[in-house]
Amino acid sequence: MSLTFLSPSRCAEEAVTSPLRRALEGADPEAVRDLSLEGVVEIRGTLGVVVPAAGEELLRLSPRRGFLFTADDPAGVVERVRASGALAYDATGAYAGIAIASEQVLRRLTDLDLEQIPTAGPFAHVTALFRRGADGWFRVYVHQELGHYVAEAVLDALAGLETNA
Amino acid sequence: MSFLLACPFCGPRPVDEYAYFGEVTTRPTGTPTLRELTDYVYFRDNVAGVQREWWQHRTGCGEWFLAERDTRTNEVLEVILPDPRKPAA
Amino acid sequence: MRLDPRPGERIDRGNAVSFTFAGWKITGFEGDTIASAAFAAGKRVFSRSFKYHRPRGLLCCSGHCPNCQMTVDGVPNVRVCTEPIREGAVVEGQNVRWSLDFDFMSVTDKIGGPFTPVGFYYRTFIRPRALWPLYEKFLRGAAGLGTLDPHAGHSRRYDSEHRRARVLVVGGGEAGRTAALAAAKAGHGVVLVDEDARNADLALAGVEVLAPGRALGIWEGGLVPVDAGTTLYRFRAEKIVVATGATEQPVVFPGNDLVGVMLPDGVRRLVRDYSIRPGERAIVVGADDETLSIATELEDIGTEVVKVVDLREARPRELVAQGGKGRVRRLVLDGESFGCDLVVASGGRQPAYSLLAQAGARVEYDDALGVFVPTELPDGVEAVGSVTGEGLSKIAPEPAYPGKGKCFVCICEDVTTKDMRRAIGEGFDSIELAKRYTTATMGPCQGKLCQLPSVRVYAQETRMYESAIGTTTARPPWAPVELGLLAGRELTPARRGSIHWRHEEAGATIQWAGPWKRPYAYGEKPEDEVRAVHESLGVIDVSTLGKLLVEGPDTVSLLERLYPNRFGDMKPGRIRYGVLTSDGGRIMDDGTIARLADDLYYVTTTSTGADAVTAWFEWWNAVWGYEAEIVNVTGALAAVNLAGPKAREALGRLVEDPDDVAADAFKYLDAKHLEVAGVPTLALRIGFVGELGYELHFPSPAGEHLWDALVAEGARPFGLEPQRVLRLEKGHIIVGQDTDSESNLYSSGMSWLPKLDKDDFVGKFALEHFAQRDEKEKLVGFTMEENVVPAEGAQIVIEGMPAGRVTSARPSEAAGSIIGLAWVPTDRSQPGTRVEIVIDRMRRGAKITHGAFYDPSGERMRS
Repeated sequence: MSLTFLSPSRCAEEAVTSPLRRALEGADPEAVRDLSLEGVVEIRGTLGVVVPAAGEELLRLSPRRGFLFTADDPAGVVERVRASGALAYDATGAYAGIAIASEQVLRRLTDLDLEQIPTAGPFAHVTALFRRGADGWFRVYVHQELGHYVAEAVLDALAGLETNA
Repeated sequence: MSFLLACPFCGPRPVDEYAYFGEVTTRPTGTPTLRELTDYVYFRDNVAGVQREWWQHRTGCGEWFLAERDTRTNEVLEVILPDPRKPAA
Repeated sequence: MRLDPRPGERIDRGNAVSFTFAGWKITGFEGDTIASAAFAAGKRVFSRSFKYHRPRGLLCCSGHCPNCQMTVDGVPNVRVCTEPIREGAVVEGQNVRWSLDFDFMSVTDKIGGPFTPVGFYYRTFIRPRALWPLYEKFLRGAAGLGTLDPHAGHSRRYDSEHRRARVLVVGGGEAGRTAALAAAKAGHGVVLVDEDARNADLALAGVEVLAPGRALGIWEGGLVPVDAGTTLYRFRAEKIVVATGATEQPVVFPGNDLVGVMLPDGVRRLVRDYSIRPGERAIVVGADDETLSIATELEDIGTEVVKVVDLREARPRELVAQGGKGRVRRLVLDGESFGCDLVVASGGRQPAYSLLAQAGARVEYDDALGVFVPTELPDGVEAVGSVTGEGLSKIAPEPAYPGKGKCFVCICEDVTTKDMRRAIGEGFDSIELAKRYTTATMGPCQGKLCQLPSVRVYAQETRMYESAIGTTTARPPWAPVELGLLAGRELTPARRGSIHWRHEEAGATIQWAGPWKRPYAYGEKPEDEVRAVHESLGVIDVSTLGKLLVEGPDTVSLLERLYPNRFGDMKPGRIRYGVLTSDGGRIMDDGTIARLADDLYYVTTTSTGADAVTAWFEWWNAVWGYEAEIVNVTGALAAVNLAGPKAREALGRLVEDPDDVAADAFKYLDAKHLEVAGVPTLALRIGFVGELGYELHFPSPAGEHLWDALVAEGARPFGLEPQRVLRLEKGHIIVGQDTDSESNLYSSGMSWLPKLDKDDFVGKFALEHFAQRDEKEKLVGFTMEENVVPAEGAQIVIEGMPAGRVTSARPSEAAGSIIGLAWVPTDRSQPGTRVEIVIDRMRRGAKITHGAFYDPSGERMRS
């Protein structure tokens, strides 16, 4: 049995909505953006065999655990990675992703050393994956069921910068 | 408790990122007596000194590993990866 | 009172600011603190003392002592000597009945002397015990600081921020600045924090200055929280340089707490920063040149210095401050009286070592200096400047000077030399015990002004050396901190499935279920939702179920060793119920296991068990060194249970080929891939709620879409409460509710499950023992004889003796009675046995049953 039941990209297009749709409705796009529907592939086993394609980023958590962020169809990436000998799972639906412009918001919600990014660590008391784009924005991914809570925490931290800069 | 523990993959992180699973125990083999079973299930050495224990970097990479920690000072002398294909307990 | 403009003053005389001080309108200048403006306007009494309600005035003017704590705009215990002036602020006294200048409670001071020694309340008012709550109410009201309105909520917003520093310097004095500059030359990441707001614009090349900021403590791993008012900075520093300096210590003599008795630094601040003449006639008492030099400074501003008492020259036989209405009027020295309105007194400086001690440094008495100094600093921590004792002059004033009147060792807690003597006399023969008994050093100053004096008095009374007495343990917080700041923002992680908002929109009652927010029911009548499932079609969001994929060559070995039952003999596409046990044989979690391919299994866990089960699988996987990957896909997948006699029909309309879900093509305990309403779905035919049912697992982002499609097909949403009724009707247990840490598979009626002939599995040893012994208790069903519902946990009584407990109970229309599950003694567990259950103190009859209450043969769910 295949694992396509993990892949939002294999759903009818109108069927798919972001877990952050309500939380980020009306939020300032210059401060936060929703990345939840961008492709995430969880990789297990021999990470060494995985070759990220152009535009992809491989976050290595350990020699046997990693995440591949992709702009391609993640279900296709799963097949490609599996063909190369590692295990792969479409994790696009598993993660809510939020891009945050302000470094100070990050510091309000995590004690992680931001120099260590990309990595995994705590964010608003839950486990998160961290990336940093060439644009300087921080990209934080949490389990989608915590996405709404985390997005609210981010917006609250942003609001706090007005009071306690 | 705010000491730093070095994850073998993520480096030093505050201890509250980790789940602690207690000292390494030896699981009985064969058919243990009730006393042997009880010792294994309920009793721990609880040393005041260096012990080998299980940790998981739960708010991080998620990997399990072993650490040699001095329970008196929280000094971590060594972190060790469990050897695949070789039972650790 | 205000002097003519002076160079270096911090006030802007062109900018007047007005506020209310204890009902008086006061106008000061921009740059003033509340205290300096009030003092300049002639106010002298700022607070009433903790126990005796004695008037207290400015003492240190540096935010250390308790004397100027007031309630500012509703925030209690604000030290107004460092609180900047602001327009319209309302500043009120606290711990007073009536007013700061006239406090009814000061009667405690007048008559209370002989009646209020340490420990008095607790010994005197403890009998009769029944009256203690009454006494306590009065006593608590009589002593204390400001009051908090428990219903007011946060008066302001507090944030916390995590920061990193290569070098964190605490203290912005000369030594701190020098150390910070030196560190900045070696690289970036140098931060200096200082409690004094006046250092905010300190410019040091390459150094970030944070002021006002008070370091609250030093924890392991270089963690230093810094209180910056409404932001708490949590610093992790590679190296911490403590430059907290040395704090002026009060001289202990009778009347030393009178309004007008001040520390030299406090006087200097009033003069230099706010251009205030602190008194007309002053007396200076000191034992070092630094203290005595204030005499010249006072004369320069026109204060008459009546007398300079150099404690090094002669030991006064009598040194007493006396006054009227709590204010100092004269100083009596060896029988001679000197009129004054200001006494500037210091017993020298004590290194402010607390942070170092918290970090693990030793603190020893330095006989040469007559103070305690830090030694043996831990790695990563350095001390510079006078906190090390460096540059301090040898000062050894008498521990306490004789004379008539109250002689305060600890002004925060109103502890006198007499209290210390009494504590020692009663046998509190260590400084730690005497501290706890008298509460000396336990007040808002955290020992800054009383640690050394109390040790000195203790030494004098016990005729011991200070070095042998030592100090009390330094604990955080080093400076008082607002609880709101420590609490910070409320961040309680809530898990919501991707269909959550549909439930909110449908008006469901949402409640916490472990870490999840879930619908309890959609309407007022959960039984209607139950009926819909039995008679037609219901749908429940079960996205909260833990979901794991286990894949790899050792998957079968891993699962066979984790579970008591077998999974290796299952065909791909089949499902089996599984219960996890610990090596102690206890039930940990349950769920279904579907084999998707030879080396690929799909495991579900209880809603609250996902994280623990994942960790448990991974741990054993690491222990045994298996090659199997455990992937937690709980959030990746939404899941719904479509249940009821019409389930097949409805599902058939949503899939491309209805034959895919025909009874013979999709049997009970089958798992198969379906495309439902355009969504790729793993469909599991299982029956937790006892009717024909399909659990559909599919990508989370399609949650709302598929839910809408099912509701459109006529499925009535049902919540947790109806599900609890439905599962109870089937006698299905909920792990953790019907079982506890003592339950095992044999006592819970699942003796069919463990396969003891397997080589090994977690819990095998224990289950082998359980299999051979008689269980004391069994989990059974019961039906009530009357229409009353026992509470979960209700007692079961047999022959008048407590014999068991109810774990679940609900009214069931389908069963036609109140049904439930309960633990009863094995010899009373036979079907038909009558027991009694205590409900509202009444015993009600119930009959033991075995098996399901509804459709016992399981025909409906298998149909």
